[in-house]
This record gives sequence, C-alpha cells and structure tokens, in this order.
Amino acid sequence: ATTSTLAQEVTLRLHQFLPAQANVPAHVLDPWADKVESESGGRIKIERYPAMQLGGTPPQLIDQAQDGTVDIVWTLPGSTPGRFPSTEVFELPFMMTSAEATSRAYWDLFESHMKDGEFKDLQILAAWVHGPGVIHSRTPVEKMTDLQGMKVRAPTRVITALVSELGGTPVGMPIPAVTESLSKGVIDGAVTPWEVVPSLKVQELVSNHTEFGGDHALYTTTFVLAMNKAKYDSLPDDLKKVIDANSGQDVSALFGKTQEHYDAPGRELAVARKNNIITLSAEQVDEWKAAAEPVIANWVKEADGKGIKGQALLDEARALIDKYTAK
Amino acid sequence: MSGLELGIYSFPLVLLLIFLRLPIGLAMLLVGLGGSWIIMGSAVPILSRLKGETYSTFSSYSLSIIPLFLLMGQFATLGGMSQALFRASNAWLGHRKGGVAMSAVGACAGFGAICGSSLATAATMAQVALPELRRYGYSNALATGTLAAGGTLGVLIPPSVVLVIYAILAEQNIAKLFLAAFVPGILAAIGYMIVIAIYVRVSPGSAGSAERMPYRERFRALAEVWPVLIVFITVVGGIYAGIFTPTEAAAIGAAGTGLIAFVNGGLTRETLIQSILMTASATAMIFFIVFGAAIYNGFLALSQLPAEAALFITSQGYNPWMVLVGILIFYLILGCFMDSMSMILLTVPIFFPIVSVLDYGLGAEEFAIWFGILVLIVVEVGLITPPVGMNLFVINSMAKDIPIIQTYRGVTPFVASDIVRTVILTAFPAISLFMVRWLY
Amino acid sequence: MKRSAAIEWLARALAILGGLVLILITVLTVVSITGRAFVRQGLGPIPGDFELVEVMTAFAVFSFLPWCQLRGAHATVDVFTSFFPAGVNRVIDLITEILMTFAITLIGWRLWYGMTDKMRYNETTFILQFPVWWGFAAAMVAVGVAILVSFYMTFIRIQEVVAGQRQFGPAEGGHS
Ligand code: NA
Ligand code: NA
Repeated sequence: ATTSTLAQEVTLRLHQFLPAQANVPAHVLDPWADKVESESGGRIKIERYPAMQLGGTPPQLIDQAQDGTVDIVWTLPGSTPGRFPSTEVFELPFMMTSAEATSRAYWDLFESHMKDGEFKDLQILAAWVHGPGVIHSRTPVEKMTDLQGMKVRAPTRVITALVSELGGTPVGMPIPAVTESLSKGVIDGAVTPWEVVPSLKVQELVSNHTEFGGDHALYTTTFVLAMNKAKYDSLPDDLKKVIDANSGQDVSALFGKTQEHYDAPGRELAVARKNNIITLSAEQVDEWKAAAEPVIANWVKEADGKGIKGQALLDEARALIDKYTAK
Repeated sequence: MSGLELGIYSFPLVLLLIFLRLPIGLAMLLVGLGGSWIIMGSAVPILSRLKGETYSTFSSYSLSIIPLFLLMGQFATLGGMSQALFRASNAWLGHRKGGVAMSAVGACAGFGAICGSSLATAATMAQVALPELRRYGYSNALATGTLAAGGTLGVLIPPSVVLVIYAILAEQNIAKLFLAAFVPGILAAIGYMIVIAIYVRVSPGSAGSAERMPYRERFRALAEVWPVLIVFITVVGGIYAGIFTPTEAAAIGAAGTGLIAFVNGGLTRETLIQSILMTASATAMIFFIVFGAAIYNGFLALSQLPAEAALFITSQGYNPWMVLVGILIFYLILGCFMDSMSMILLTVPIFFPIVSVLDYGLGAEEFAIWFGILVLIVVEVGLITPPVGMNLFVINSMAKDIPIIQTYRGVTPFVASDIVRTVILTAFPAISLFMVRWLY
Repeated sequence: MKRSAAIEWLARALAILGGLVLILITVLTVVSITGRAFVRQGLGPIPGDFELVEVMTAFAVFSFLPWCQLRGAHATVDVFTSFFPAGVNRVIDLITEILMTFAITLIGWRLWYGMTDKMRYNETTFILQFPVWWGFAAAMVAVGVAILVSFYMTFIRIQEVVAGQRQFGPAEGGHS
C-alpha cells in the first residue's frame, strides 16, 4: 500500500481514452492534475487512467462520470449523439477560428445555455475545442469530388453529416480505433487536427493531408472535462475552491490554446516524411463552404425540433467567436 | 486490505472457482464485481458500469467477426468444403506421420494472416479441423493441443491488434513491427510442425496414417478444393487489398460458404437450424468469457496490481537481462488471468520507459521492436499454458466429450516450443530485426 | 418441476432467431460491399452499415445466451471435479446455476437502467440516428428469456439434487 506523509483526503480517478503520452493527456490533463494536487497541499490525489484502462468504451465516459464509476473524465460531448445537442453549434462547418477564441465562446455559451440544461447532472470543469480540422487520406483530396466514395472517419454527428454532404462515406468510430482501421483499410481517411496525428501514427498510414486556408477552419470538435457532481459537492469548501480555481473560461481557453499549439509538431512529422500536404486557397475553400451550407441549415432545423432556438444559438456563437477572435 | 493485496488474492480465488467447474466467464465476472465493490468502497460504481458494459461488449464491431466466422465454419462443413480441404491435405501429406495436423497448423497460419484475434482463430479452426483430425485417427490430446497452439498464430502472424496497441504505447512504427513479427510468426508455425513431427514419433498411436496416394489421386483431391480456394482468396485478398474489413470478410465468407452449401444440397432447413444452434452455443460461450474477463480486468486495473508489479520488477536494480527475463516471466503468469490487450495497456507504459534505457546492445528503435516481439509472444503463450488459458477453454468446450486434462497434455509440447522460441529470439535479436534492417 | 418443453422451445426459438439475424448481417454486408464497389455507377454502401452490424450482433449474442446455458455449453474445467462423487457434482451444478441466475439477473437489471438512461438522454447512433435504446430494448427481450432459463435450470438442479439423479444427458447440459 502507498502511504503518504501528507494527509490525503480525497482521491479522484481521472479516466480518458488516449495513451498517457498523447498531447492532451501529457500537456493539458497532467499539468492540470499536478496543479490541482499541489494547490491542495497534497490533500487531493488525482489517479490518472489513460487509454480506457478502467474499461468501457469512449462513448461511455460521460456516463462513468455522471454515475460515479470514476470521478473525472475527459470526453467529447459529440460521442453520444443527441445527448448534448447545443455543443454541436461549434462543430458546424467553417465556424471556428482559433482554438483559444472559440473555446472562450464555447464557455460563455455553456454558462448561458447548457450548464443548467444539457449538463445539469455533471460538474463541468472546462469546455474547449481543438485546432483546425484537417483531412488525412490515402489518396489526395484536392477538390470535393476526390472525396467521392471515400470512407472517412468522422468524430461526431455534425462532422459525419458534413462528410456525407461533401460526397464521402462517413464512418463513425472512437479516435483510438482509427489507427487499426486505417492500417486494415477499413477507412481511407480521417478528419482530425494535426495534434493527434503523431499519437495515432496517422502520418505513417496515409500520405496526403488537406488543410483549409481562410479565416475559418473546416471544423472543430468540442471537449469537456467533466466531474461527478456528488463527488464535487462532497468536497470540503477549501478543496472545492481549489477545483473552482482550476476550472472555468480561462482554463478552457488555455486548454484550447495548448492543444492547438501541438498542431505544429504533428504537421512537422508529416513534412519530415515528405507526405503530400495540400493547402486549399481561400477561393477554393469558398466552394466547400457553399457545399457545406445545407449541413448548417439542416442543423438549425433539427435544433428547432429539439426545443433549441437553432438560429439564435448559431448567431450568438458566431458573434462570440468573432468577439474573442478580434481580441 | 489494500487494492494491491486484493488483486493478488483474486488470482487463487478465480482459480479455485474455475476448478470447482464454474463457467470461466462467470468466475471472472463474480470476482471482478466483488473486487471492484470492495476497492471502490461502494457497489454503485460497478453497478453503474454494468448498465452499458454488456451491451457494448456484445455489440463490438471487431468482435462481431467471431459469430460470423463460426457460422462460416458450419456452412463450410455442410457444403463439404472442410472435408475436401482435409482430403486434399491428406492426399498430399497423409502418408507422412502427423501430416494432417501439420496442415491444420498451416491453415491456422493462413487464417492468422487475415484475422487479428487468437480466440477467433482458435474457435474457427476448431470447428473446421477438429472433426477431421479426429476422423483421421488423431488422439484427442494432439488434436486439441494442435488447434489451441495454432490459434495463437491469429495474433503472432500480422496483422495483429496487439502489435498495433504496442506501437501506439511505445511510439513505434506499425509497419516495421508487422514486418519484424513476420519471421517469428513463421517460426512459430514451423516450431508447431516440428512438435507434431516429434510427438507422433514418440507416441505413434496418437496419429492415424494413410496410404501414400498416387499423384493422379492427389490432384483430383486438390481439384475438389476449388470452392474453398475461391472463398479463401476472396476473403484474404479482399482484406489485404483493403476492399473490406475483417468483419465484412467474415460476413462474405459466411454468405459464400452458405451459398455453396445450398447449391451442393448440404444446406437444408434441418441442417441450417443445426448450424445456427452450434454457432449460438459457441458464440455465447466465447462472449461470456470476454465479458467476464473485461469486468475482471477492470478490477485488476483498479487494484493497480499490474502497475505495481511492473514497478517492482524494474526497481530491483537487477542487470538488464535479469529485468528482461523477469518481465517475460511476469507476462507468462499474468497471461493466465488477463487478456493480451488489457495486459499490454496496463503494463507497457510502465515497463517500456524503464527497459528502453537499459543497455541490450541495440539502438533505441531496434530495442523497441525486439521488445515488442518478445512481449507479443509471451502474452500469447499465456493463452495456451495450463491450467488457465483462453484458447484451451475455447477448444475444449467445442469438444465437450474430451476431458480438458487431455487438452492440457496435448498442448504442453507446444508450450515448450513457444518457450524455446522465446529463448532463441531473446538471445538473438537479429532474428526479429533482420527484415527491418534489410528493407529499411 | 419436470423439464419444460415450453421453456426449452423458447430458448431454441430465440437462438434460431438470433442466427437468422446473423444471416441478415451477411446479406446486408454483401449488399453494402456490392454498393460500395459500384460507387461510380451511382450505387453506394448501405448507410450506417457498421452500426447496423453492431446492433444486430448485440441482439444475436444476447439471444444465444439462454440456449448456451440450457445446453451447458459454457466453458468449464473439470480436471478435479471429475474425481468427485456424482452427488457432489450435482450440488456444484446447483450452486453454479444459482450464481449464474444471480449474474444474469444482475445483467438484466442493469441493462434496464442502461436502456432508460439512453431513452432519457435521447442518444442516437452516428449515421442513421436511430435511438440507441432500441438496441438495448431488443437485448432486454433476450435477457428476459435468459433470466427465465436461469431460474428454470436452478429448479431443475434442485430437483436433481433431491432426486439424486440427472435430468439432462451428457450432450445436453449434464457432464459425463
Ligand atoms: Na494475425
Ligand atoms: Na495460461
């Protein structure tokens, strides 16, 4: 048994789906957990379980946090389609600018629209997005028709709709399954930010990468760091304060910024392998934007059906992103 | 009691329950549930986990390959395809002692080249080859031992899910690992054939023998294999060409063999129902084990036993080779209780950073590849070492009339060949590395 | 309680239904791959084929469980118990069946809550976007039969212990 000289009051189990050395676990979650531990004077210990070590599948992480199977999870709201429809507004095509600004906008909208609604059964510590999404494929994607018949892994429902609108065949699977599927030819490509490329070995399995020029990225994916509500409520006030000091908008913005920062080394690996990196010009992107319009229109319509004012939410999200991008 | 102690005590408890003839999956499930409850100090977390765990295990896309290949095996038998396959191998090899068992190993290797799972390989080949081996006069021990060992070729021969996971954890190149695994995988198959050759000489009664056939007969027998070849080429070729996934290949294989059986008149309403019921029993049996193991492995992860034991081995200040041997033995033991994937996920992140800085006279990348191959082999050996080995259980429960003690006896020489191979590959890293050195 | 033809018929029928679903998977896959092969001719794969395979596999596996249990097809190790007297083995069978009933009932109970969760959160699949709880509900039906079979087998084993004699032959769920 491990004994500590410090009075350890609380052990929190943090469960997530990527290996410990991947960027988010290593550069976002670990520093965060270390900081919480040290600011609590050693009274909080955060046990870290990467790569679904405690069992289950990535879409079950949110239930694990909500039910208290574990205490904290890092997950994608989009991995359980239908459950957190409002978060999807940030995943719509050509919405996001920088991860930092978009994460700030996401947190604002979370506080005003989701905290007491879709997320009322969870204590959300941070809500952020990753850097610009890139298409990684076995055969080059230079124009939209190149996507025709291509099996592409899409991380969430909205991006699935986007891939199919652009002519590809979307395949839904959790991110850890991408490597195996690419190596076996189950999928021909994947849309991800550069940052996850090294940990999934995407640069070894495909040789083409398509980036989108212009101000807005093809897409992004939303994340949350979620804690079990009862566990949070059970903390003594001073430890609650430690958690509070390490959650919220600034933390979310930092997470987004850090994650985007690690896009560059991922891209360098692909460059070093002399992979074919295609960067679409702003004019070329306009054609894609036009093709993606129905995805947005359809999302608004669906949102209305779910009792969310889709257009209003979209306008508000856009305004917030613009506001924080301008800063 | 600490989590660590609970983890340690759980081993003898699982063993005891299994030896009291509790279904393997049930034993692991119950111990896993109880252990998680005690460690978490409350039943709520594990009960919550159960809400989704059965469904997600049973609906796994990659596991869906199992019932489909089992069904394909049934249809292949109904269509006379597996018999034709064995008539052909018997015509060519039957006059050699142990020839049919050797060709079963060859078939396992071929199947292993398309399938990334040992359990699926063992189950499928058992269904196709076990009745034939017995019909050709092979002893229960040799027949089941051959197929249990042959099943491990599913993972030993690339593609291999275990290596993909290792590559990610150890940050290595997958293509190079697959390449490196190829020669050791072939060596495994050859080693198993050598075991069979020795086995039938030491114990001549354990294999039947046939007359040497004239070549005309041999080619006639070979000509009857064409439906098998078509299905095999479609299935294997389709996967390698990236046209379909292994699960899709299994579905196509089942559809194809079903169609052939129907055309041959082997598939009737009666035999279809029999095929389904056989598939049903075997599928439920395998999935129940997989589910029990998932719950039990979740408990072991919570107990931190694999992590602590790994730290213990690496912190003793032994010389590098002692550490390596310690790790390999550790995997052999743990392999009795955990599935390959969970073991790799829980321990490689601990072992790898520590051993990768020890000096084995290899460069960083070469060491990583060599270590990966050794780990791959020992975790697979765990599947066939008595008394607890998943492949042994799967094979044995597909032939309920064979006492498992016979399977234990039959598989022992194969385990010995695995250990010899491990020693050779440990002593001569070049065997695992020359393909990579040559082609990169 | 005598052996019940109705319960055994039910388990068998459910297993056959599961097998037909398995065959449906093969048909669906063949159609989907054919569609994919002729993308340029305007055909295409069946949308959401992956998630259909998943939901159908889950139903098939769940519906195979009762049959497996009824036939005593679960993997077991009889190295030591084969030396035990028949009476002891009958008691072991009874205890196994009770534990199995406990496990299956637990699974069914939790699956029910898993299903209601999915209903409450309106979770859908990625591509076809049908409610996730449909898959749970189909599995729930099969688990219901599995629970029934578990209790049935427990009563059979009680009867065997009391009567000192087996009701199942070795190939069915007894052991030699
Ligand atoms: Na393989
Ligand atoms: Na073993």
